[in-house]
Amino acid sequence: MKLNPNNLPRNDNINPYAFCVEVNGEIFIQKGKMIAYYGQLRFESLGAGPLDMIVQNAFNAPLYARDFIVVTGRGQLILGDRGNDVNSFDLEAGNLTVKADHVLGFEKGLICQQSIVPNYLTLLGTGKFLASSNGPIHFMEPPARVDEQALLGWADLPCPSLRYDHAHIQNALQAVGSIMGLRRTGEEEQIDMTGSGTILVQSSEEALKGRSDLANILSQVTGLHHNDLVQLQAHVAQRLRPN
Amino acid sequence: MTPFSLPNPRLLRVDLRGNSMMARAGSMVAYDGQVKFDKAILGGEGVFGALKRKATGEGVPLMTCSGTGAVYFAQDAAHVMILPLQNEKLWVESSSLLALDSGLKTNTTFTGLRGVSTGQGLFTTTVEGTGNVAMLSHGTPLELEVGPSYPLFVDPDAFLGYSGQLQQEFIFDINWKTFVGEGSGESFQLKFSGQGTVYIQPNERK
Repeated sequence: MKLNPNNLPRNDNINPYAFCVEVNGEIFIQKGKMIAYYGQLRFESLGAGPLDMIVQNAFNAPLYARDFIVVTGRGQLILGDRGNDVNSFDLEAGNLTVKADHVLGFEKGLICQQSIVPNYLTLLGTGKFLASSNGPIHFMEPPARVDEQALLGWADLPCPSLRYDHAHIQNALQAVGSIMGLRRTGEEEQIDMTGSGTILVQSSEEALKGRSDLANILSQVTGLHHNDLVQLQAHVAQRLRPN
Repeated sequence: MTPFSLPNPRLLRVDLRGNSMMARAGSMVAYDGQVKFDKAILGGEGVFGALKRKATGEGVPLMTCSGTGAVYFAQDAAHVMILPLQNEKLWVESSSLLALDSGLKTNTTFTGLRGVSTGQGLFTTTVEGTGNVAMLSHGTPLELEVGPSYPLFVDPDAFLGYSGQLQQEFIFDINWKTFVGEGSGESFQLKFSGQGTVYIQPNERK
């Protein structure tokens, strides 16, 4: 079907991989996810002058400020994320925590804050937001144990903690692998979700498809502590040294 | 017109009855009947065409398939879109072209500066005439209409091709604060105005 501004869905999926947002005012989107738009829209980085007030009110995650931009104006904005599924959620005075690079966009009525769990963003308040997933999302109730790669996020108040499966590593080969830091599969280490709320699980063990190795590594770096970063820096410096 | 069909969204089937068609080399996954495959090259005929292909990098290795039988084509499990052309012209990125009717004429044209940032080359392929064309799209492709009162802006990385009476412009969002850091589709866009259809994929090329 041919689409034009009159028959495009309003704030809905065009197909599982593309979503049309009716922009009237300001919304936040992840950089590089616009695939097309009709109308008068402007794209500004979060540091741009006149937007400071809105940004201060809605965007509270300085670590991720470079990854998001503000769209202003009126028009229809089509978003896509490398052929990953695009899902929309409506929050009503609620909270939802989602893996940071899966957050595609959100309305300024929501407040975006860094989660205390590394690599996750928490959205608070009332409004619509978009998240991408590799395969459709499955909703679960705690208690449940989820593979780190497949976990997309959680709503309300489950308590995430790491669970280490000792029985699994009694297998000698696995043990050797884990000592050398080679093997970290969902069978060995899981995220234990307890409490009450909803868990969002995507239908794939690969976080997002189509991502480059570098993007995969960089998405992990934000979760590292200072000492780890120093080690990483030393490692990279060593690799860069001419032989 | 050679019949093109999709047994599933990511597989193209072409029924040959003694005629021939062209497809991207190496994209054949199966066939039945008596079909012959020959090497061919896209983008203009003759000595001048060959020179232009060499200079522009838009030449994609193609093959001619001729005979009688059903041939199946697929590439990297990408979605396939069939476009029937009726004495029309289609502008398409050669990297997105999967197969075309042999009755169609292909050529290489200059499109401007798009390739500077996306590495797709400064040139694009045109397909002209009457017949079926199959395009590759990573994710379900979108057909977006452009009318005189509603121009369309597209991320060059998501762009597949267009048809109709369209003018193509390059828009730089003159906001250097957006540009600094990494280049993203938002700071550099393609604008289409006029009357026609633009084809995009919900995916940015890497």
